[in-house]
Amino acid sequence: MKEKNKSGKITVLMMGNPNVGKSALFNRLTGASAVVSNYPGTTVDVTRGSFMQNRENYEIIDVPGAYSLDARDAAEEVAVTILQNNPEAIVLLVLDATRLERGLYLGLEVLEQGNPTLVAVNMIDSAHDKHIAVDSKQLQKIFGVPVVPTSAITGEGLKDLGMMLSRARPAVISEIQDRAQNKAQEPDRPSAVPVVGGV
Amino acid sequence: MKKRLSDLAFGETGIIHRIDLPEHELNRLGVRLKKSIRMITHQPIKGPVVIVIDGMEVAMGLSTAEQIVIDLEYEE
Repeated sequence: MKEKNKSGKITVLMMGNPNVGKSALFNRLTGASAVVSNYPGTTVDVTRGSFMQNRENYEIIDVPGAYSLDARDAAEEVAVTILQNNPEAIVLLVLDATRLERGLYLGLEVLEQGNPTLVAVNMIDSAHDKHIAVDSKQLQKIFGVPVVPTSAITGEGLKDLGMMLSRARPAVISEIQDRAQNKAQEPDRPSAVPVVGGV
Repeated sequence: MKKRLSDLAFGETGIIHRIDLPEHELNRLGVRLKKSIRMITHQPIKGPVVIVIDGMEVAMGLSTAEQIVIDLEYEE
């Protein structure tokens, strides 16, 4: 059973680099109106919203963007504190599909924390435009957690993302390392992680 | 040919060959070995150096840029 907060909601933390579209995605999921702009560092405080899926009530927290969990500025400190204060919360890791590699530094740091995690490869519409192909199935295999391509602009993948919230799971770093180096071909629980889009 | 990042001319490109800093916060910004970069701004009077890496601009102090060695001869 997922850990619930006092109001009976499951907490979901949206984490990622600055300017990857966390707030836009947050607004799409919750119908809230967090300020969105096209430069990094727009969210320096915490915004909360709620989201309902399959009779489960989620409290989504839009966390300020961070490059690392080793905080360097006030916004990053807020991000780290929220993560530390919610050790049981689901983490929705938001990556920028057009700059996937850049987000992996923070991404792996977050996965190391051991929270149940799922990954949104956001701005996938922008990646399509730039002819960048993202193999989210392979990424899902390597991470062992659900990976969903999303676009807050077009709405692509948002339904999948909502359904996958309940399938968030903790990652095992050593296994990720093995799979990334192709030492192990398949994750331990392949059947538990359905292929996105094939549901 | 190898050059310090601080000595790169405008528009010059290369890959990061070596980072001579014992401790730095560059990795989290996507600045790491073997990444290709382009120098776009070098401000005068010991001002910051701006590079483009993965389509993103990253600014750093001159003292940091002096410790990064760029290999200008590389194959894509």
